[in-house]
Amino acid sequence: MNARGNRAALTLLASIAFPIAAAAQSPRADRDPRAGSWEIAAALLWTGGYNAGSAAALETRNPSTRSTPLTLFTTDSRLRGAPGVESRLGVYLGRRVSMEGVLEFSRPVLRSHLGGDFESAAPTDADATVTSYVVGGSALYHFGNGRLHPFVEGGVGYLRQLLEDHDGLITGAEFHAGAGLKYRLTHGAHPFALRLDGVASSRSRSVAFDQKRRVVPELAAGLSWRVF
Amino acid sequence: MRRALIAGVALTCLFAATSAVEAYLKLGTNAGGRLVNLRWHTFPIRYFVTNRDVPGVTAPQLQHAADRAFASWAAVPNVALSSQFAGFTSALPLTGDNANVIGFQDRPDLERVLGATSFTLDTVSGEILESDIFLNSTFPWSVAPAGEAGRQDLESIVLHEIGHLHGLGHSALGETELISGGRRVIGAEAVMFPIAFSAGNLNRTLRADDIAGISDIYGDAGFRSATGSIAGRVTKNGAGVLGAHLTAFNPASGKLVGGFALSPDGTFVIAGLEPGPQVVRAEPLDDGDPGSFLDASLNIDLDFTPAFYNRLVTVPRAGTSRSIEVKVHSK
Repeated sequence: MNARGNRAALTLLASIAFPIAAAAQSPRADRDPRAGSWEIAAALLWTGGYNAGSAAALETRNPSTRSTPLTLFTTDSRLRGAPGVESRLGVYLGRRVSMEGVLEFSRPVLRSHLGGDFESAAPTDADATVTSYVVGGSALYHFGNGRLHPFVEGGVGYLRQLLEDHDGLITGAEFHAGAGLKYRLTHGAHPFALRLDGVASSRSRSVAFDQKRRVVPELAAGLSWRVF
Repeated sequence: MRRALIAGVALTCLFAATSAVEAYLKLGTNAGGRLVNLRWHTFPIRYFVTNRDVPGVTAPQLQHAADRAFASWAAVPNVALSSQFAGFTSALPLTGDNANVIGFQDRPDLERVLGATSFTLDTVSGEILESDIFLNSTFPWSVAPAGEAGRQDLESIVLHEIGHLHGLGHSALGETELISGGRRVIGAEAVMFPIAFSAGNLNRTLRADDIAGISDIYGDAGFRSATGSIAGRVTKNGAGVLGAHLTAFNPASGKLVGGFALSPDGTFVIAGLEPGPQVVRAEPLDDGDPGSFLDASLNIDLDFTPAFYNRLVTVPRAGTSRSIEVKVHSK
């Protein structure tokens, strides 16, 4: 490493060490976020399930026997709720308002209950695992002072779901709105906080056997850290 | 070129127990140990109609029914089929006279056969050189737009036989029941099901299974790129199940497409499926008449109960699913 490289390394080390030292010297000097403050967060996520549609495998009835279609079997499908993870990177536009980018990942199961078989095949639950991503952004408005900061949030996202073996791809738009709170765990200009989110996520398309907009609940619990 | 006349009252699949074949039940021939699908290589298919009226049907009415039936098959997207009416003839069907003839004959001895299709083919390439369709005038027929009670709908039966003429075998997408004097179909979801509805015009419309089958034989690149396949095996106690009938069901569209395990190891492929998750179900062939579907000399296993595959199978676009194993159990 040359001399310029040494200076750069020292500068970086100093910038990391400074806030730590500052926090140690003034443990009670809490500082509200201001425009330009950055925050990162990671959380465990739970995304609710939804009814994915019912269908019947029908055969055309011989008209001399009856007029209604013959049901070979029926399916009743549901995308089950699933745990996942999410990460967020936000920047404050002012003391109350911040904008965030969000990335979510989960692996829900699409389950179809197969039954009502004309030839008495045993009822079966047939599953397929779905890999689900949401990439989006949110706007947050914070309330309160002190350690507890409730907030409301809303935003848009891009939903990308891959069926088992990555053989099927479904993409759609996602809108979400909800509320949450941040509870400051440490003091200083770079506090850690417990963060809880609860939103309703409206999805234009998603894994299902009938395509319609669906609203699913999402709950997240994690930690946030104000970086700058 | 080797020519052979293959005729019969219940023309079905000539696929023997060999390695996996591509989906659906198509007519085929064994060319030196190699399985070759039957198909026309030259279009339009020129056909004659026997100039003979029978009770309820004139020769021109038969020609119009044949014309509409050919048009129904030709209307399937992404296949290039065409036909041309060549005129009326005094020739009878099933005679091997280098002309494709559709006509009525009195065959009271074939008391359960409404119609049959015969072929003259190149047994090396599988090319269909000639095909005749015989309709049994022993039965009462109808050309009424909505069908008639107590009479067989001519267009429905001709549509079925023209499916054979194009190289399709029978579909097993249907349920039957025993009645005095034979079997009666309760319901079916393929024009190519081997037992006709008693009356009505419901089988003048091709179903998803028929469309998948004809597309599997004559489909172009557009068909291949828009659809996919499910591949796998049907097993019982670890051994393959020959002759198992499989159904792929798309809950999103409600479409049913069938296929068969056509080799001793139980291997199957169901082609022409819409991309997306599908339900797969295995069942034994109708034990009343398995020879309607497959070569009767095959050791077809009928001793198992219908069963669903316990995963949803995602059909990839322009590809084949991972291989699945559908496990069934003895009755």
